[in-house]
Amino acid sequence: MEISWFQAALLGLFACLSSMPGLGGTSFGNYTLGRPLVGGLVCGIILGDLTAGILVGVALQVVYIALVTPGGTVSADVRAISYIGIPLAMIAIKSYGLDAASADGQALAISFGTMVGTLGTVLFYGTATINLAWQHVGWKAVEKGDFKKLYVVDMVLPWISHILCSFIPTMIMCKMGAPMVDLIKIYLPMDGVTMKTLFTVGSLLPCVGIAILLKQIVTKAIDFIPFFLGFTLAASLGINLVSATVIAGMFAFINYRIKMLSLQRASAGSIDLDDEEDI
Amino acid sequence: MEKKLTKKVLNKSFHNWYYGNLTCFSQEHMQTFGYLCSMLPIVEELYSKKEDQQKAMHTYTAFFNTEPQVGSVIVGMTAGLEEARANGAEDVDDETINGLRAGLMGPIAGIGDSLVVGTVIPILLGVAMGMSTGGSPVGAIFYTIVWNLFAYFGMKLLYFKGYELGGKAVDFLVGPQGEALRESITMVGGIVIGAVAATWVSVQTSFTMIAKGETVPYLILQNTLDGVYPGLLTAVFVLFCWFLLSKKKLSPIKVMLLLVVIALVGVLVGFFNPGLTY
Repeated sequence: MEISWFQAALLGLFACLSSMPGLGGTSFGNYTLGRPLVGGLVCGIILGDLTAGILVGVALQVVYIALVTPGGTVSADVRAISYIGIPLAMIAIKSYGLDAASADGQALAISFGTMVGTLGTVLFYGTATINLAWQHVGWKAVEKGDFKKLYVVDMVLPWISHILCSFIPTMIMCKMGAPMVDLIKIYLPMDGVTMKTLFTVGSLLPCVGIAILLKQIVTKAIDFIPFFLGFTLAASLGINLVSATVIAGMFAFINYRIKMLSLQRASAGSIDLDDEEDI
Repeated sequence: MEKKLTKKVLNKSFHNWYYGNLTCFSQEHMQTFGYLCSMLPIVEELYSKKEDQQKAMHTYTAFFNTEPQVGSVIVGMTAGLEEARANGAEDVDDETINGLRAGLMGPIAGIGDSLVVGTVIPILLGVAMGMSTGGSPVGAIFYTIVWNLFAYFGMKLLYFKGYELGGKAVDFLVGPQGEALRESITMVGGIVIGAVAATWVSVQTSFTMIAKGETVPYLILQNTLDGVYPGLLTAVFVLFCWFLLSKKKLSPIKVMLLLVVIALVGVLVGFFNPGLTY
């Protein structure tokens, strides 16, 4: 599978829009275009294989389902995962002759995408560092009272940071991807230990993504119960995700009603107590 | 005459925040410039003299960073405070405004990261992935539409509630009713994440034991484990990663590297074998 310069440039443009801090804005750029699921759709359209794009996107989405960036520290970069990792994974799957829907195809996609995503943090720090220069321009403008310049500083000048740290790296990596994957194929045959390990890692990595989410939800052992309810619904009963969400909604509704009732009780109870004290 | 911000100006301020909150991010001043751009239309509307504008804008040059989506409520509140200050309210000065901003940054970031980024987005993504099974684009399109409508109107609501109600808007978010609501949404998150793990994560062992001279193995470990609890090995690995992240305080990258080692050892001893062939 070859990627043309035009396709590579389009992928580069989406990388500019989707990264954190992206030029598509937080909600639409980072949290929409940057998610591997949506990235898979976009890459699938650009590279002309929608199904493969979505399948690779879904596989990577599981790993990065909990990509929270507290205080601007990142462990992976969305532009690299979605617009370098997904295209390269698509090429690799094609090149190895795998089916993107098979467990092997998904595992390969995950190991490729995750590797690229982790290395991509360099791009994040690069963008943020270049932005310091524009902010410097901004401070001077504020001092002089030249407020209109603030818009240029906040919304126009960062394009330069992104051309350097998103557009060019993405375009080159995607364009060079096909020959690179061919090289990897020669040096790492599929039945060797390295490839077996790589595929196994691909099936283990999504556990980290799930665990990061659990870390936020679970503070004590009892908090695991909802997680295992969901797990059992899907694994043992074969209930799909949409149906599981409906069931979850019912439990949440009951929980909310109980909480609200106990709140009303508590406030009513405290009044009663006061009365008794008066007597 | 009493100064009143028009709907048009407030909308402009909101849209500047909605789009520009993080576009010029740096590690030094994370969302400060997004904030300045958002307050600019308001300051220009309220003060006609250049030096008054400059003085007001100077308030917002202080460092600012929070979860930008739920953080809209803070921007809305300062819009209300700035209006009060322009009308000559004695008790509103630089210190009140920046004290409020600094005081709310942390709690709002906590709510935003855990509720929106850590729960609502994963729930939507989980459902969307279910719809995209087999490579259908429906899930990706569903997520794009539903999430963006939720984010845009949710942020707009928070901004205007912040402007109208001031501190009361935050009271709802951190108060008992808000807490009950958050706890319930977290519960949905927990259940959906469990279903996502069972559906999309699959850790399998290839370990078998064959008696001498036989061709059919008498123990297929994967089947035995699934007989105990379907997906047991996947659940064990998720719990193991959770243990390393929460209890051992390892960073995600270190956990990933450890998994690479486990995978290598597992492949060498024959516990894992993806069964690859050309």
